[in-house]
Amino acid sequence: MTRFAILVFSLIISLNCLPADTAPCGDYGECDDFRPSLNDNASLQKGLNTFINYCYGCHSIKYSRWGRISKDLEIPEDILFQNLVFNPNTKPGDLMKGSVIEVNAIEWFGVSPPDLSLVTRAHGSDWVYTYLRTFYEDSSKPYGVNNMVYPGAAMPNILGDLQGRQVLGCRNVPILASNGGIKRDDEGNDLTEEKCGYLKLISEGKLSKTEFDALVFDLTNFLTYIGEPSRRDRERMGWYVIFFFIIFTAVSYLLFREYQKDYH
Amino acid sequence: MFKNIFNWLNDRLPIVNTFERHLSKHPVPKKVNFWYLFGALAMVVLVVQILSGIWLMMPYEKTENAFDSIEFIMRDIEYGWLIRYMHTTGASLFFAVVYLHMFRGLLYGSYKKPRELVWIFGMTIYLLMMAEGFLGYVLPYGQMSYWGGQVIVQLFGAIPYIGESLELWIRGDYYISGATISRFFALHVVALPLMLIALVFMHLVALHEVGAGNPEGIDIEKYLDEDGVPLDSVPFFPYKVLNALVAIGIFGIVFSVIMFFAPEGGGYFIELANFEKANPLSTPEHIAPVWYYAPYYSMLRAIPDKLGGFMVMAAAVAILFIVPWLDKSKVNSIRYKGIYSKIAISLFTISFLTLGYLGTVPVTEIRKLVSIICTVLYFSFFILMPFYTALEKTTKPPERL
Repeated sequence: MTRFAILVFSLIISLNCLPADTAPCGDYGECDDFRPSLNDNASLQKGLNTFINYCYGCHSIKYSRWGRISKDLEIPEDILFQNLVFNPNTKPGDLMKGSVIEVNAIEWFGVSPPDLSLVTRAHGSDWVYTYLRTFYEDSSKPYGVNNMVYPGAAMPNILGDLQGRQVLGCRNVPILASNGGIKRDDEGNDLTEEKCGYLKLISEGKLSKTEFDALVFDLTNFLTYIGEPSRRDRERMGWYVIFFFIIFTAVSYLLFREYQKDYH
Repeated sequence: MFKNIFNWLNDRLPIVNTFERHLSKHPVPKKVNFWYLFGALAMVVLVVQILSGIWLMMPYEKTENAFDSIEFIMRDIEYGWLIRYMHTTGASLFFAVVYLHMFRGLLYGSYKKPRELVWIFGMTIYLLMMAEGFLGYVLPYGQMSYWGGQVIVQLFGAIPYIGESLELWIRGDYYISGATISRFFALHVVALPLMLIALVFMHLVALHEVGAGNPEGIDIEKYLDEDGVPLDSVPFFPYKVLNALVAIGIFGIVFSVIMFFAPEGGGYFIELANFEKANPLSTPEHIAPVWYYAPYYSMLRAIPDKLGGFMVMAAAVAILFIVPWLDKSKVNSIRYKGIYSKIAISLFTISFLTLGYLGTVPVTEIRKLVSIICTVLYFSFFILMPFYTALEKTTKPPERL
């Protein structure tokens, strides 16, 4: 049985080594790692702030309600409404349907900006986190920017002022041998070659790189929360249920063992 | 007072008789291993699916707004997310448990005389489950629901002469639309569950008639005590119930870990593309079925011709029905079968798992070749079974458990 299991496993692992599928983050390759911290309300609040000020003009999150966000993120309703809700007719129970009219949006961007309620679930949070940080200047595009994760994206780089000017540049990278190691010359120095297609910040924006990354982190964290607002409850409740089943298993096992003595 | 009411009832309804015959005194082999617990677990998941399904039905909209209503369940209904994840996790684990249950059947010859009918009822349940799972997968009306549904319904279009009209008849429209959703809904929540429950009942009645098998593959009815009860058996209640409870506890842990901490199952239980609403104008880059159909999907893709692929897929399921008559071995259990059977079942398992893996990833030339080889291996296991089981040397199983 063990030998059999090893055989099956090695086979499945070897299959994984067959020619790779397309990289998850487009031209960028592997996405940058993103681990949400959904219990950090400060981060979620900052994310909400960025979202409303920079994204909500075009993108809706039509499955969420203002009141739910106020409750979950612990923002008193009056403060939320005073600072982030711009339409005076909005009620706490209203869905966050965005403020752009679809016909206008199609005229401006060529496509209607997608609803972002589920963007982190459909693409993954790390995809969103990487996407928002990989815009670069490209004069061939209508808005003068392109994106590495999603080449040809119709979206302007809305956070560009904060991030600064980013372009594609070249840099010297070590030459890799076929076995994955770095090639060296006779004296033991690493051999390098010039490769292009790397992001390069040519002038800083209003935020430093760390500050900007933190801002995008909070924004992505917020979008992750919006993707599944009940996730915090789910993960909290999970521990109790698992604990219950562990006790249940233990008790029924002891009982089973006791009764098993009758026929063993 | 209660006694009188009970007696009155019992005189008119065989309560005590049925309870004793099928539960309290029903004899089951005293020594079985963990493989024999998946049937009980399948029963538990069936109940979970029916209950969570009933509650999901209430807020669900069987129109093209289905996707929105699912998000309404996930966000605005109290514990809606819990009920929905219970149903999605349950669906995957139902198949997991049933696959293991079926594999047990193949390992220990549970299909052999006199249990052929039990096996056939079981296979029919499996077939219905596949239909049930497919219909349910289309209901959320996400991208993968739409395109997966499209691929499967189009398969019927490959049938000569009637194909095109059949396809249209199944869909009720020219594409997977609200009309399709509403008919799939009716089938998913009424028609198929009714049939499933009826078949599960028959599966159990037939099983209780001939008695449960055991890993040694021997007949325990040969040695009876003075009351006619097999010596190597114990009453179902409380002994096997307790055994099942332990299994249910462990299963509950596995279920909860998935449901509460990884309900998408890494994209295998709920595919990521299904978090996007169905869009008839944009085909996803890579259409993959949920994992439990993946082996058959691989076979479908391995065959270049659509009708041929469809037939191979259908044959792969159909051939399981006749296993009781393909196995010519003198013994039931793999423990006493010869080396050919052992090699055959190992190759079969490897090819089935490999096909499963290949069905979830995009196809390349090498993968296609591997899936053709595995498809051949899958069928050889069954087609060659009459020969290798008849030819090989078996060992003698013990007389008693």
